[in-house]
Amino acid sequence: MSRTIDRSMVGEEFDHTEFPRITEAQILAYAASYGETDPRYTDPAAAARGPDGGLIAPPTFAVSLRGRHFMPRELPRNIGRNGFDAGKDIEIGVPIRPGDVLTASSTVHDIYEKTGRSGTMTFIVFRTTVTNQRGETAAVVDQKMMFR
Amino acid sequence: MILDLHAHSDASEDSRAPLESYLKWLQRKRDLLPIDGIVLTEHRQWDAAADYRDLEDRYGILILRGAEVETDYGHILVYGVNDDITRRFDFTNVRLSAQEVVSEVTRLGGVAAPCHPGRPTIGLCEHYERKPPLDGVVAVEALNGGSRRGENERVQGLIERHGYGAFGGSDAHLVSLIGICATEFDDDVRSVEQLVAALQGGRYRPVDFREQVRAARGGA
Repeated sequence: MSRTIDRSMVGEEFDHTEFPRITEAQILAYAASYGETDPRYTDPAAAARGPDGGLIAPPTFAVSLRGRHFMPRELPRNIGRNGFDAGKDIEIGVPIRPGDVLTASSTVHDIYEKTGRSGTMTFIVFRTTVTNQRGETAAVVDQKMMFR
Repeated sequence: MILDLHAHSDASEDSRAPLESYLKWLQRKRDLLPIDGIVLTEHRQWDAAADYRDLEDRYGILILRGAEVETDYGHILVYGVNDDITRRFDFTNVRLSAQEVVSEVTRLGGVAAPCHPGRPTIGLCEHYERKPPLDGVVAVEALNGGSRRGENERVQGLIERHGYGAFGGSDAHLVSLIGICATEFDDDVRSVEQLVAALQGGRYRPVDFREQVRAARGGA
């Protein structure tokens, strides 16, 4: 049960992906997928008259952007194989708009252990920073995985 | 004087409760929860620079700080954390020696008190079934707001057998759970030093507000 966690990966970038230009259809499809009704995300004409001056992506859109690698390839050997999604935190930056070219950089942000009713758990936080073509941060997504 | 001795703000990775939201909640629920102060006991960490005096003044609620560390006898609340204690122990280590924590924290001016002792794996009761009792424990968290059915009840025997002082804490990780279990002190506690002295002195008891909170929500 006892193992020493290797924190040497913390800070290491394991994926860097530039996505195809974001389209209006992509944003509308994402919003429709969960029944969004706010015209800022669903109605280009209404959004153009609204505070954002045009259609923008819903705040959680950045989570749908997956890089080539979800986690570093060597991580399972280091930590264990039985992992599951332990939640996400999203920090929203500038709005994502049709025409944006987004880049996602993913790093191992943190590795820590904790003990609970069921024993010792190792948590790894993968941080994906999404920036647009102007270098502005559109979102920072912390994806937590639990391994035991 | 009533203090919630065990609470986690969003500085703990598994809590989503901003400290100020706790204070607003307690201010608003004053008739149900007569809590004079809270002790933040973040998981496996200590922020020496944190300063909550502005919030204390704004809300009129005492804010003290401790830490919850993880040991080979389960989780332990450390009150009176100081530079000597943080130099002595790596709070992020989940395999600290409980005996060292209890003995050394006491020697260095604090109090180390096992929390949620009735909880499986991370509570003192289970460890006492197969390991010798710890020397120097003065108090345990007899009433924990996050305990499941039967876990708090398990602690009574432990307290009777070992003569431990009994205190209470909400173990809140969510705003609406702050203050549901707490500790009533006979003496005034206005600082961490006074808290340490009071816990060593024994003139306190756990207080349980869960029923009245439940009743106020219409669920009694």
